[in-house]
This record gives sequence, structure tokens and C-alpha cells, in this order.
Amino acid sequence: MNSSLFWVALHLSLILVTFNNLLTGLRIATQSRPEIMVLNGLLPQGLMHRWHYAGALVLLTITVAFLIYQFGLKRTTKSSQPNVSLYHRVVTWFGYLTFICIMLTGAALYWQLLPNAWLNDIHFYAALCICLYILLHAAIYFVQYGMKVIKFILVTSPTNRKTHGVMVVATLTLGLLLNFALSTQKTIPLTVHKVDIKELINIDGQANESIWQSIEPVSVWTYGGANFVDGSTQVQIKTIENGVEAFFHIEWQDPTKSLKHLPLKKTADGWQIQQSGFYQFDETEFYEDKLAVMLSDSCDAGGSATAHLGPKPLSDKPANWHGKGYHYSYSTKQTDIWHWKAVRTNDMILADDNFFGKPQTARPGDRRYTAGYTPDGKESGAYVMNWKWYNKDIITPKRLPKSAQQLASFQQSDNASALNWIIPWFGYEPYQKAKDNYPIGTIMPSVMYRSNRFEGDRADVRAFAQWNNGKWSLELSRKLDTGSNNDVKLQSGVCLWIAAFDHAQIAHTRHSRALQLQWQDS
Amino acid sequence: MIIRALSLIFVFIVFAIYAAISKPELPEKPMSQRYQKLNSSGQPIAPWAGPWSCVLDQKTGLVWEVKNDAENIHDAYWTYSWQLNNMGVADRGDCYFEPNRCDTDDLIRRANQQQTCGIHQWRLPTKEELLTLVSHDLRPGEATIAKDFFPHTKRGDYWTSTANQPLEGAFKHLGHGAYAVNFITGEAIIIPYRNAAFVRLVAETKTEKTLSLIK
Repeated sequence: MNSSLFWVALHLSLILVTFNNLLTGLRIATQSRPEIMVLNGLLPQGLMHRWHYAGALVLLTITVAFLIYQFGLKRTTKSSQPNVSLYHRVVTWFGYLTFICIMLTGAALYWQLLPNAWLNDIHFYAALCICLYILLHAAIYFVQYGMKVIKFILVTSPTNRKTHGVMVVATLTLGLLLNFALSTQKTIPLTVHKVDIKELINIDGQANESIWQSIEPVSVWTYGGANFVDGSTQVQIKTIENGVEAFFHIEWQDPTKSLKHLPLKKTADGWQIQQSGFYQFDETEFYEDKLAVMLSDSCDAGGSATAHLGPKPLSDKPANWHGKGYHYSYSTKQTDIWHWKAVRTNDMILADDNFFGKPQTARPGDRRYTAGYTPDGKESGAYVMNWKWYNKDIITPKRLPKSAQQLASFQQSDNASALNWIIPWFGYEPYQKAKDNYPIGTIMPSVMYRSNRFEGDRADVRAFAQWNNGKWSLELSRKLDTGSNNDVKLQSGVCLWIAAFDHAQIAHTRHSRALQLQWQDS
Repeated sequence: MIIRALSLIFVFIVFAIYAAISKPELPEKPMSQRYQKLNSSGQPIAPWAGPWSCVLDQKTGLVWEVKNDAENIHDAYWTYSWQLNNMGVADRGDCYFEPNRCDTDDLIRRANQQQTCGIHQWRLPTKEELLTLVSHDLRPGEATIAKDFFPHTKRGDYWTSTANQPLEGAFKHLGHGAYAVNFITGEAIIIPYRNAAFVRLVAETKTEKTLSLIK
């Protein structure tokens, strides 16, 4: 009872690629499904997206080759096969359907064919069905036939080896051709329209200049974030440039305008930070809305190959508190991050200009290690939090209002989104216990603008957003070439990713294929 | 067939137990390092604890003042002209805690009065002492110092006690000045006494509790 060479090659490849895709896919799923963290010890860490997408391509190749085998070669060649019971025929069809489902949803997610939130769910449950299929198919075959099954899937029949060998080579060639064909589909073109340098573009979040009205946006479905509607939001982007600066108008759906950023609450024991996951640096309740734009000269999967997933993807560096992973890159190609924050930077009319570089040295006094996530340098300016030292339980504020009246508006829970949650440094005074007579339950903001806005390299990106009717509208601008080693020069070919945060610290939405800037006249 | 089924079940149980007991790795608290945080009364606290007022350098045995943003005498924004024992230039820096302007003697006097970290022998560091704090493990735009133990350090000049140094170039006509360590370049330079520069005070380890920490 031997199998044909081609069948053995396909079947073994399918086993390997299925395990690759399941393990890397489940690790990717931990980003938005904390319950999968129970499998932490079994899942790989690191650059999962690269392996997952490569696995998807191999799976597609195997599927095409299998169809050719099933409807062509198998009918023309003979190989001894066991009689298949009704049970296994049913299980096999269950397997076919699940593989078809997972490939279709995977493709739809990758190419953004449909809204991603429920696609992502179906893709995940199809993966669980494949786990079940492995149990029903492989485990039951092993129980029924023991080591004969191992022989069946490993030992090839001597007949037609030449023909089958040619088929194996043809399949490999098919895989390479598919890889080549799909490599041209790795990015979504984002046309950068030309605007006259004399036309003034206000960075006010309104985008009411005529040029914006004449441009059709490019849409991307982003998914897998905390909050939003099913963790998903559609992002629409328009881009223009005037030869000196580039401008971006980005809109995304967010049902809530969230500005309560780790506010302080007076308790019987003292002041407490309102938080639910901040201790693990994964706050998803008391946090401001944010949006990050990542730019890179590389368009590699996994956010320019910076997303290294898992609790400890770097063996010689500290683990992360949330178990999700780190952003870093050893590449010589720079990866730029513009991080707009609804409270901490919006009133500075800036986005925080950061980058993903090589993993930094771990510092013993820093509880949070951020690997390659690093702010650009600044000359001055800062926001600081209103506590002398972070503590999960009770903190001492750095400053208190000069007048209790300054906190009156923050005590009404129904107007939080209409308030300015920034403490002006000189509107408050250094904390004195004698003056801390606030009643239990008092709410106080915690973000302070220490002095002026950022100045220097960190202040390269101007940004301002407004929220209206369930949607943020953000305008960004930056010089095409800042001259900084930590910034990506804006030009045709640069790839771009968008991540939206709905009152979440790190649980952002994401999308698979990068957007790629294409100058209108190039 | 039963044995094969049981062996498969056994394999699944092993995987399930392994998955259940393999908790996600969490960052480990650093066991030992060069710097030891001391709270305002001089008691050692853990590397991830705070706030802290001083740092003991276990390599040199020196205790260093830690700057803050509390608008007290240790605020990092305050600047001082160089004056020690009536030598130098008085009151050419800016701070909130003096009725007039500020010099290095003012900060030393106030720190000793307040006995920051239980110490009443605060002084300016020598050039060699201050240079021991220079670090080149930097993030962009940071001062050349271990920022995790010395927050609020400015990218600028910090006075040393190494004085009576001849000035050169544009400052030659001012005669003599003192060494300051520049925490952008990490190098010592001679600047005029009248300059408004930052200060980080130092003290020898005298108390038993800090002495016991030195390795």
C-alpha cells in the first residue's frame, strides 16, 4: 500500500504549511484575542507575518497542484490506495471546505475585498476548524492503522516516478510564478497629488481647501484593534504635495471621542489613576484616541518587518508586559512613525515624530522596555503626567489646581468629550498635602504641557484633528526631506501603514498590504 | 487500537499541561546595577520604585543629587553662576528659591540645610567625579547620562568645583573660570564663573546604610 510520489510531496507539504500557518496565525491572533495567550508556550515568536504570508502562498500553490492532480494526473496514473470509509470521506470534505474557507477569507483580508471585522472572525474560526480537522483526520487514521499510516504518507510507489517527479518540479515552478505574480500586488497605490506651493493648506483638521475636494480618497479596512465597532475601522486617505511639503488628510470612523487620558480620581486613600491595563502598558479604557502613520522605504509584510510578536521575541532583551511583542528593525532602511495623540499632541498641533530602529539597550531603571520604538530627539517642550511616580494603587500628584473651581467641569460625566483635558503647568501649583482638600470622587486631568510644544526633530510633523459625527478628521504635514537620519524621505515608492487606536494604548487596528506613495507626475 | 488511542490522548494531555504551566514571560526585576536609588531620607529603594531624591554610584561610592520638576531647590530648570567661598561671581543664575538670583553656594547651603537624603555635606563635584556620570548609551536628543536614574538632566553645562582655570578665546579677557561638564558632548570645558549653568551636587558616602551598599 504505497502512495504516488506527487501525492506524498503534496501531502507532506500540506502538513508542514498547515502547522506553519496555524502556529504563526494563532500568534498573530494574540494581538486582538487575549484568550489565545493561554497557548503562549506553544506558539513561535518573532516575524510571524512574513512566515504566515509565505505559508499562504505555498498553500495556494498546493491547492492548485492538488486540483490538477485530482482531476488530471490521478485519473491517468495508478497508485495503490486504501479503501476510504464513509467517515473519512465526510471528514475529508469537511477539510476541503475549511481550507477553502480559510483561503478565501485570508485572500479577502489581504486584498481588502470586504469589511474586515467579520472576515477576521471567520478566518480565525476556520483555523480552529482546521485544528479539529487534524484531529478527526490524522489522529483517527493513526488510531485505526497505526504505523501503516506513517508509511503511507512517507513511502512512495515505484510506478510513474518520472511523471510524478516532473509534476513536483512543475508545482515548484508554479509556486515561483504565483510568488512573482502576487509580488506585484503587495501594495495599494496611493497617489500623491500635486498642489501649487502658493495654495495655503491649513492644518486644522477641516480639509476644506478646494484641492481636498477634488481628490478621491483611498480606503483601507483596518481591523484587530481594541474598541471601535468590532475592533475595526475604515480609514480614508488623501495625499498632496507642493514640492516642499507633503500633506495628508486621514479620516476614520470612531463612534466615541475619547479624551479622558488616565485621569486621576480622589479616593479615601488618596489619588488614584483611573486605569484598567496601564500597569501592563496595554490600557484599553482610560486612554485618548490616537492614530499612527508608519512610513518606510521597505514594503515588507508585518509593518515593514518591524512587528516582532510574542512576549520575548529578543532572547537577550527583557520580555514585554503585555505579551504582544515589540516593534524594531535591524534593517538599514529607516522606519518612521508619526504618532498623533488626541490629548497629548493635538493641542501642540503636532504628531509625535518617532521611529522604529534597532533594539535599544535595556536600562535597569526603566520598567518598560520598548525595543526599537524610539522618539526622535527634541530640543525642548514636553507633556508630562501629573504624578510624581507611577503606582498602580495610590499616587501623589505633581501639581494641584490653584483654585478648586478649575476642576468643576470635570466632575460631570456627560461632557467629557467637550472639555480640554490638558493641565496648563502654570495654572496649577506644586502639590502640597495641606492644600489637598478635594472631596472623595473628585476627577482631575493628568496630562500637563510642561512648557512649549516640542521643538527640534521630534516636532517635524504638524498635525491637528477634529471629531465630528463619529469620525476623526486629521490633517498632517511634513517636509518631503527633513534632513534627519531618523526620518524617511517622502518620495515615490515609500510604503505607508495606518494604525488607529480607540482609547487604547497599544491595541491598534492594522492592515496587511502597505499603501505605496506614487507621485502624480512620476 | 486502544493503545494507539491512549497514546494519542497522552500526547494531547502532555501538550495541554505544557500550555497550562508555561506562563507568559514577564520582565524580570534587575538584580544588580551600578546605580542605587535613595529616597528623600536616604533609604535605598528598588530600581523600579520612586520617587527618589539621590543616587548612590556603587562604582565610585559617591552619592548624587537627583533633579526634579517640583519647583523646589532640586528643580532641573534652575541655573547658577559659579561662586564658592566668595570666589567666582555671585547671583547670575535663575531659580525660584532665592530672593535674588542664584549661584552655586546658594544651592549647596540650601541642600545642606534641608539635609537632602539625610546628607548635610553636599558640595560641587570635581571635574573627574562628574565625568564618571557621562554615558554614551543614548537615545536621540538625550543628555549623556543614565536617564533612567538621572531624569530631567538638561543637555547643557553642569558646574564642577575644579576652578581657577585660565579662560581662552572669546572669554580670555575674563581671566579665570571653572570646569563644567557638557552633557551634550560628555566633555569637560572651561567656562566663565558668570555663566548660568546647571548643577548636580555630590557627597561622599558617610552613612552606614549607604556604605553597606557599596560593593
